[in-house]
Amino acid sequence: MNNVSSQADLQRILKEGETAVLQASNLKELDDVRVEYLGKKGKVTAVLKTLGQLSGEERKETGKVANEVRQKLESDIASKHEELTRAEVAERLATETIDITLPGREPVYGHRHLISQAIKQITDIFIGLGYKVAEGPEIELDYYNFKALNTPADHPARTLQDTFYIKKHSVQPADDDIVLRTHTSPVQIRVMKSQQPPVYIIAPGRAFRRDVADPSHTPMFHQIEGLAVDKHITFGDLKGTLEEFTRQMFGKDRKIRLRPHFFPFTEPSAEVDVSCGICSGMGCRLCGSGWLEVLGAGMVDPNVLIEVGYNPEEVSGFAFGMGVERIVSLMYGIPDIRMFYENDMRFVKQF
Amino acid sequence: MLVPINWLKDYIDVDVSPDELAELLNLTGTAVESIKTLGEGLDNVRVGLLLDVKPHPDADKLSVTTVSIGQPETLQIVCGAKNIKPGDKVPVALIGAHLPNGLVIKPAKLRGVTSYGMLASRAELGMGADHSGIYILPEDVEAGKPLAEALGLDDTVLELEITPNRPDCLSMIGMAREVGAITQRTMHKPEVTVTESTEKASDVAGVEILDPDLCPRYSARIIRNVKVGPSPTWMQERLQKAGMRPINNIVDITNYVMLETGQPLHAFDFNTLHGHKIIVRRAKNSEHMQTLDGVVRELDDTMLVIADADRPVALAGVMGGENTEVSDGTKDILLESAYFEPTSIMRTSRSLGLLSESSSRFEKGIDPNGTVYAADRAARFMEELADGIVNKGVVDVYPRVILPKRLPLRTDRVNAILGTKLGVDEISRICRRLEFTPEVIDRTTEMWVSVPTFRPDLEREIDLIEEVARIYGYNNIRSSLPESGDKQGGLSLRQKIAESIKLRLVAAGLSEVITYSFTDPHDVDKLQVPEGDPMRWFVRLMNPLSEEVSVMRTTLIGNLLKVLKYNVNREQYDVQIYEVGHIFWHEQGKELPDEETMVSIAMTGARIPDEWYEKARSVDFFDLKGVIEAVLDEVDAEGWSVRQFTHPVLHPGRSAELLIGDESIGFFGEIHPEVQAAYDVPRAYVAELNLNKLIDKANTVKGFTEIPKYPGISLDLAILVDGSISNDRVLDVIKSAGGSLLKQVRLFDLYTGKGVPEGKKSMAYSMLFSAPDRTLTDQEALDAQERIIRKLEKELGAQVRA
Ligand SMILES: [Zn+2]
Repeated sequence: MNNVSSQADLQRILKEGETAVLQASNLKELDDVRVEYLGKKGKVTAVLKTLGQLSGEERKETGKVANEVRQKLESDIASKHEELTRAEVAERLATETIDITLPGREPVYGHRHLISQAIKQITDIFIGLGYKVAEGPEIELDYYNFKALNTPADHPARTLQDTFYIKKHSVQPADDDIVLRTHTSPVQIRVMKSQQPPVYIIAPGRAFRRDVADPSHTPMFHQIEGLAVDKHITFGDLKGTLEEFTRQMFGKDRKIRLRPHFFPFTEPSAEVDVSCGICSGMGCRLCGSGWLEVLGAGMVDPNVLIEVGYNPEEVSGFAFGMGVERIVSLMYGIPDIRMFYENDMRFVKQF
Repeated sequence: MLVPINWLKDYIDVDVSPDELAELLNLTGTAVESIKTLGEGLDNVRVGLLLDVKPHPDADKLSVTTVSIGQPETLQIVCGAKNIKPGDKVPVALIGAHLPNGLVIKPAKLRGVTSYGMLASRAELGMGADHSGIYILPEDVEAGKPLAEALGLDDTVLELEITPNRPDCLSMIGMAREVGAITQRTMHKPEVTVTESTEKASDVAGVEILDPDLCPRYSARIIRNVKVGPSPTWMQERLQKAGMRPINNIVDITNYVMLETGQPLHAFDFNTLHGHKIIVRRAKNSEHMQTLDGVVRELDDTMLVIADADRPVALAGVMGGENTEVSDGTKDILLESAYFEPTSIMRTSRSLGLLSESSSRFEKGIDPNGTVYAADRAARFMEELADGIVNKGVVDVYPRVILPKRLPLRTDRVNAILGTKLGVDEISRICRRLEFTPEVIDRTTEMWVSVPTFRPDLEREIDLIEEVARIYGYNNIRSSLPESGDKQGGLSLRQKIAESIKLRLVAAGLSEVITYSFTDPHDVDKLQVPEGDPMRWFVRLMNPLSEEVSVMRTTLIGNLLKVLKYNVNREQYDVQIYEVGHIFWHEQGKELPDEETMVSIAMTGARIPDEWYEKARSVDFFDLKGVIEAVLDEVDAEGWSVRQFTHPVLHPGRSAELLIGDESIGFFGEIHPEVQAAYDVPRAYVAELNLNKLIDKANTVKGFTEIPKYPGISLDLAILVDGSISNDRVLDVIKSAGGSLLKQVRLFDLYTGKGVPEGKKSMAYSMLFSAPDRTLTDQEALDAQERIIRKLEKELGAQVRA
C-alpha cells in the first residue's frame, strides 16, 4: 500500500460517502451512513488507522487528505441532518393536522340557580358598603315577624288569608302565634335584640305569602332586607345607599326616585323606582312610566327601635327590602316567575 | 278611589294637565294606578231628539227615524233596534264619527233607504257592555249638544291607591286639600245654608248613645215630605264616574255627600222608626236583623247597632236594615251622620264578611268633627233635589269630644332624621300648606303643631317629620352615605365555607335548584319512610293552599326527585343537581319548630353524554361518592369514613352513611327500586348531608407539609382476595404494615372474571415509599412491600398475583 493508493482510496470513499449522504432518506439512514464512514469501524477511520505504516512525509500528506475527507463528510452529514429534520417536522405537522372545528372536550361543570346568583351579586355590593350577612329561621314567631315590626293587630297581613300559619290561637294576634315568615325583616329584629349599634346587615332568604301561583306571584319567594342603625343615620343616607346599590346593580346611568308610601315599620317610608334601562326613563311597554318599582324603604320607626331596646333619640336607622324574583325578572326579561321553581335544566343552565 | 278631575275642580283650581297632576300625586305618596280619559271617540256624537219612527217599507226588522239634532233640518236614520219611540233622546253618531269600538260612520243605503248616521247603544259608545238597544238618554239633556258634554264625559278620572294611613284622602274634598298642599293652592269647601222649617228636629226625634266608647258622636237631621225619584243627571254621572250606581235621589245624595266629604251617611225612613227614636247600643247576643242586602244576620255583643225603641235598624257604620229602608213611598227622612270607633267597625265588618264603602271609611277613621257639615250638605241637597223640608236644628249627641292633637316638632330632630337643613320658617310653611297650625315656641328649635281631626294618622313627632319630608319632596333631599367608620362588611367564616361548598358542587358538575320549603305529606310514603321516623315529624300549615303543599319538608330528596321527573318528562335525561335548604320538624316543648340546613344531591342519566371522542357513561354510585369526596376535600375534613347504611329510601347494597370522626353527617346512595317506581324516575343517586355539621368539621387552619426532598420508590402490588373484602380493609392492612415509609397508596385496578377464581377479585395498588431525610434504597422499599404482603396474606388470606 502506498500513499497514492491511500489517497485514491480516500477520494473514492469521499465520492461514495457523498453519494450515500445524498441518498439517505431519513435520519436513521443518515446515521447509518455516519457510522459506515466516520464510526469507530468506519471506512475513513480505517484509512486513518493505516497511516502508521507510511513514511513521515506521506503520513502527513495522506493524514491531511483523510482529515479533509472526514470534515467534508461531517459537514455533508450535518447539513443533510438539518434538511432531514426539517422535512420530518414538516411531515409531522402535515400528518398531525386536525379539524379544529370539532367541539372541545367540555369540563363537567354546573350552574348556580339564577336567584342565588342575584343574591350573591346584591350581597357582594352591600358587603362592599360595609354590611354583614344575617340569617334566621323561616318559621317565625308572630312577635318577630309582625309585632316587633310595629304591625297593627288588625293589619290584613295578619290573617289566615294572607299569611301561612303554623299556629294561630285566635283572630286576635298573639306573640307566640307561629307563621312562615312573610319577609326577612324578623332577622333584623333578632340581630338588633342580640347586639348594640352600630348595625349594618343585610338578610337574604326565603319568604312566604299565601298567594296562589301566577306569572307574578309564587307562595314562596326570596327577599333581601337591609338595615343600618347607627348614630346620625339620615334619610339622605338611605337615598345615597340605594343610589350606590342601583349604580352597581343596574348600571351607572340608572337613576332612582323615591315615592312616599306607608309601611308599618318605617317612617318616613318610600317606594323606590329605578329608571327603565330600555327607554332611559322616557316610558315604554315594559315600564309604562319610565320607572320600575324595585324596592321599599324607609327610616326605622322609633317604635321598632324602642322594641329592641335602642334609644331613638341616640340612634336612628334605615331599612329597605327587595324581592329578588322581581329584580331578576326585570333584569333578564323573564315573563313568568314560576319558572324559577320549575327547575327546568334548560332554564337553569342558561345562566 | 276614583277621582273625576272635573269634580275635584269644584273645590280647587287645577291648572296642570291630568298627567302632570298624576306625577305630582305619585311623588307625594298618592299612587296613581290609572288615568282614564272619558268621552274618547265621541267627537261627532250628539244628543238627538226622535221626532218620528216609521217602519222600513222593505224590511220588517228596520225602522226609519227622523231625528232632530238641534239644527233646523233633521236627519233620516235607519235603525234596527226596537226600544225607541218618538220623544226619546238618543245618542246620534253623525257622518264622520269614529266610535270607541272602531266603527266609522258613513252614509249608507239600507234596503233602498239612505241613512245619514247611526243611533248608538251603550256598548258602541264604549260605555259598558249593554248593546241590547239604543241608549235612551235622560230627559233633561239638551238636544244638539255634543254627547260628551251633555253627559259630563269631557273629563278624566284618576284611579288612586290610598294608603291605609290616609283615610282623609278617601273623599273629593280630602283629595282637593291634598292637591292644594302639593300645588300650593287653597281648597274651598262649599258653603252650606240650610233653609229650616220651624219644627225642631229635637222635638220629633230622640237620639240616645248607650255605648259612647264605640260611638263618640251621633248627629241627625230630619227632612220632611221628600219626593223619592231619580236624582239629576249631573249627580248620577258623577256617582258613576266615581264607581257608584245611582239608585234614587235620597240614596244618591247620601252617597254623593259621602264621596264629597268622606263622611258616610245613612237615611232612615223616619216613619218606620218605632218611637221615632235612635238608640246606639251594643247588640244583644243572638239578636237578629235583616240587612239591606237581604241577608238575616246573627249579631253578638261585640257589634254596635243602631236601634229604634224596639229593635235593631242598622249595623252601625256597616249596613242599614231592611225594616227602615227608604222606599218610593218614603215621606220623612232621619239622616244619620255619625262617628264610630274604627276598630269596632272593622271587627264587625270582618266577622260578618261585610265590606261597604261606609265601613271601609269608618274603620280607617273619619273626621269626628265633620258630621254636622255633611248632614247639612245632604239636607240642603234634599231640599233642592227632593223637595224636602228640613226641620230646625241638628240632633247632635257628642258625649266624647275629640279635639285636635297638639304635637311637638323639633327642628333639629327634623334635620337629624332627614339629613336636611330646614329652618323653622320653612317647616311652618309646610305645616300650613297641610292645614296644620304651627306655634313656634323657640325661633331656632322648637314648635308645637296642632293637627286637624281629619288626620287621625298623625300621633307622634315622627309622623309630622314624614309630612314635612313628603311635602318638601323626597327627591329634593340631598343624598349621602353613612359616616360611620366603625363598620366592616363581609361573610362570616361559616358563611364562607357554605359558599365554597356550593361552588365546589358546581365545579363538580352539579347545577343548583330551588324548590318550595313546603311539600306533600304523601312524599314520605313514596320515599318508603317508616312510621315513627323523624321524617314524619311534620310541621303542618294551618291554611295551606292545597294538600300538595301542606307540610314543611323533612327532607329535600322528595323535591329533588320531582325535579328529575319534571326534566325527564321534557327529554332532559342527564340531570345532576343539588339544593341547599332548610328541613323542618316538630318537637314537643319548643317555642318554634326545629330547622336544619341540608345540602342534598340527586343525579341521574349520563355523567358524560355521548361525544365524538367518547361514549356516554351513566352516573353511578361512585360518581356520587366522588362528588361527596370533593366536598370533603373542600372542607378539608379529617378522619372521614363511610359505613353500610340501611334506609328504606335507598338500595340496601348501594347506600352509605358518611361519618366524620364518630359523627354522622348524612347518607348517600342509589334510590330504592320502589322509590324509583313511586316517583317514576330512572335510576338515580341521592345524598343528603347536614351542612352545619360539615361546616363544624371543616379544617380552617391548614398547615404546610414539606415537599419531599429525596426521590421515592414506586411499587405496584396486585393481590387476589375474597370478593367480600372491602377496599377499606385492604388499605387498613397496607397502611399499618407499610409504616412511616409508605407515603401513598392508591387502588388502580379492580378486576373479576376470566383468570380470577369464582368468588375472588383482583385488586392492584400503587404504593409510594420515601423517607424525609435520605434517598431510599431499593432494598428498603422491597422490605416494606414484603411486610405488607405477609400481613395481607395473614390477615386477609390474600394471594400475591404474578
Ligand atoms: Zn321603559
